[in-house]
Amino acid sequence: MPVISPNAFAPPASSLSPSQAANDTAATVPAGLREKVRRLERAHSAQRSGRAAGVPLGVPAIDALLPEGGLLTGALHEIEAGPAPSGRVAAHDGAALGFAGHVIGRFAQRAGGTILWCRRPTGVFDALPYAPALSTWFDPARLLMVTARRDEDLFWAMEEGLRCPGIVAVLGETRAADPTAGRRLSLAAEKSGVPALLLRAQPAPPQSVCTTRWRIASAPSQSTPGLGDVGAARWRLELRRNRFGTPSTAETPSWLVEWNDETHCLSVVPQALHGSSGASWPESDAARLVG
Amino acid sequence: MWHDGCPRLAAVNNHAHAAGLRPHMRLADARALLPDLVTLAGEPQADRRLIETIASWCDRYTPWVAIDPLGGALAEHGTEACSAGGFGGDAGLLLDVTGCTHLFGADEAGERALLADLTRRLVRHDFNCRAAMADTAGAAWALARFAERQADLFCPRHGQRAALATLPVEGLRLDAPTLETFLKLGLRRIGDLYPLPRAPLARRFGDQPLTRLDQALGMLAEPIEPRRVPPAFRTRLAFAEPISRPEDIAAATSRLLAALCRQFEQAGVGARKLEIALYRVDGSVDRTSIGTSRPNRDNPKLMKLFEEKLGELDPGFGVELMILGAPEVEAWSGTQDALPDQDAPAVPAGVDGTTDLADRLALRLGAENVVRLLTRDSHLPERVQVAAPIAAKPAATGAWARVAGLKGARPTRLLQRPEPVDVMAPIPDDPPRHFSWRRHKHRIVRAEGPERIADEWWRPRPDGTRPPAGETPLVRDYYRVEDDDGGRFWLFRDGAYQAAANGQPTARWYLHGFCA
Repeated sequence: MPVISPNAFAPPASSLSPSQAANDTAATVPAGLREKVRRLERAHSAQRSGRAAGVPLGVPAIDALLPEGGLLTGALHEIEAGPAPSGRVAAHDGAALGFAGHVIGRFAQRAGGTILWCRRPTGVFDALPYAPALSTWFDPARLLMVTARRDEDLFWAMEEGLRCPGIVAVLGETRAADPTAGRRLSLAAEKSGVPALLLRAQPAPPQSVCTTRWRIASAPSQSTPGLGDVGAARWRLELRRNRFGTPSTAETPSWLVEWNDETHCLSVVPQALHGSSGASWPESDAARLVG
Repeated sequence: MWHDGCPRLAAVNNHAHAAGLRPHMRLADARALLPDLVTLAGEPQADRRLIETIASWCDRYTPWVAIDPLGGALAEHGTEACSAGGFGGDAGLLLDVTGCTHLFGADEAGERALLADLTRRLVRHDFNCRAAMADTAGAAWALARFAERQADLFCPRHGQRAALATLPVEGLRLDAPTLETFLKLGLRRIGDLYPLPRAPLARRFGDQPLTRLDQALGMLAEPIEPRRVPPAFRTRLAFAEPISRPEDIAAATSRLLAALCRQFEQAGVGARKLEIALYRVDGSVDRTSIGTSRPNRDNPKLMKLFEEKLGELDPGFGVELMILGAPEVEAWSGTQDALPDQDAPAVPAGVDGTTDLADRLALRLGAENVVRLLTRDSHLPERVQVAAPIAAKPAATGAWARVAGLKGARPTRLLQRPEPVDVMAPIPDDPPRHFSWRRHKHRIVRAEGPERIADEWWRPRPDGTRPPAGETPLVRDYYRVEDDDGGRFWLFRDGAYQAAANGQPTARWYLHGFCA
């Protein structure tokens, strides 16, 4: 997005020297106008006006790449379930839902209020988010669950929620990829400073105006040696879009993260440790950071 | 025309009535009197619907409208009850217009004006009707059917004794045998009963004649049961000229709402449900209602809810009357609280718009689609989480903390109905090696379990029976498994393994959820 400098407002045929003109305009351009310019530079305006803040995910390696050191409030974030490591279509979006729960939990920690969860049932095989598991990340009593029969209703409900001062985060579960709806949500989020999340059970064509897009696939966990039990949940996290963020060296930054239920933190599994199926995983060595 | 072995007349028109035909007469007798009689098959259901339509149209005069339970087929009014009787059928409507006549004029003038207005409008819609007004429903009933002169239809206050004296005894709403005996005894006029001693009359005929007489004369109360329970709070707005523009209807709604909100303030209540009715010039009524999750009397907020709904209303050829009522009200709590929230500081009332948001969402998406998740004490996973409509009482704060101990072992998504899966489990109490779900085969690499969840024996089963004592309760053994792709599932085995019958294992496996 082009950055419009205050110079743009200097009269073109000015008798003053360019530097003087710049100083003068800077002094005389009313604050309201400057605010307007900032609003034109949308993301920056959101950041500077204090309505948008970065909410860290609690993983320094990831937060370092994100603007303001975390997920921006007042922005649209997309979370989609990705294919399994073997390339097979993921059977479910339990992992993506887990990550969305973690993100909402971070937003909900920041301020009190209601979490609006809008969903469109997928038919007979509908699976509801299960509150006992969600209680890991936030208090389910704060949830307001909305079921919409049509995508238009779902996006309408999300927008209404974004405008409501008592709402701390809005999540929409949908398969629809509607660029207009995405833009509207993004604008509504910027205006109110409430984060909007879209959760997709399947990857959607990359066209929306979201600030970040995440692709989550569940990854094999680490058993306790000799037991063969299911370890802490591990997810393969891909940051596929990172607007206003710090560019990464990798084309698509990706991490293997682990959610620890006891310490309530998300941490990156060191590269040296994952993949070696036989190796035990000493707890103290993991880059575990409490968030 | 209707049948009970032989065809009989159900209703007759004015000409037939003048020729001596009466309802309930046999068709053969009627043909004998009037050879060129034209008959049509009776449609009792259509008649009933028509009466209901007229009854709801009569809501414009009073909220207290009842369909006469004695009338089999058409029209009535009359306290001050009004009774409109048709010549053809004997259906009637009873309207309790107490306290409603002042809208038409003071005292008796208003009562006469209401009666005239009612008759005029019904006649304009081509109904053949007679309406009478009296202090009692019984007197109005009799006058509407048997008054000989038009002037007699209006019975002045306390005048029912004189007015009824000359009417035939049929006007007392007696059952057929009693009526027949009365006629045989020469008691043809209601007035003939006045001088009779009461005790022998009661001994001879039972309570009915005296009860009916006392009801007609106002010595015994006769409550009218309204079709629709009239709301305690209601306002009406009549227009000199019919309106039809949406803006006008919105403006009228706003005025009605303002008046109703003042009533709420005086009574210290708030509305949970509001209903607006549009009375159109063609006699039909269109209604719509809004609901709120908390008692509400905030005029602009209620108006905002109505704005969503007003578009659905069809003014037709014009609306001449609007009535706004509050069928459901609750004590006003003073503030609009936010949804329960334990750790965060309470958002100041009025700033937090969550309840208003919930109302708006519920209005458009349906109340059952906007829910809060509550928890209940249960071991069964599907019973732990309850989706309660926003109107329900919020869960005790921290209730979810009780299930928190299990969260790691619980799926993030729970299938509403467990899906059967085909498994390969080598040893009875071991987790399966493979399972196939929706034709995809998953090889299980890691597994945890079993976690045994037993049926709640203290609760009746869905079919209402209780498990008999001594029977092994139904159990489910839950396993958390991970396939070679890292996908984590929540499976259970329904019932313990028992001796295999016909070589088939007795237990079945189901998929119940997806873990993070």
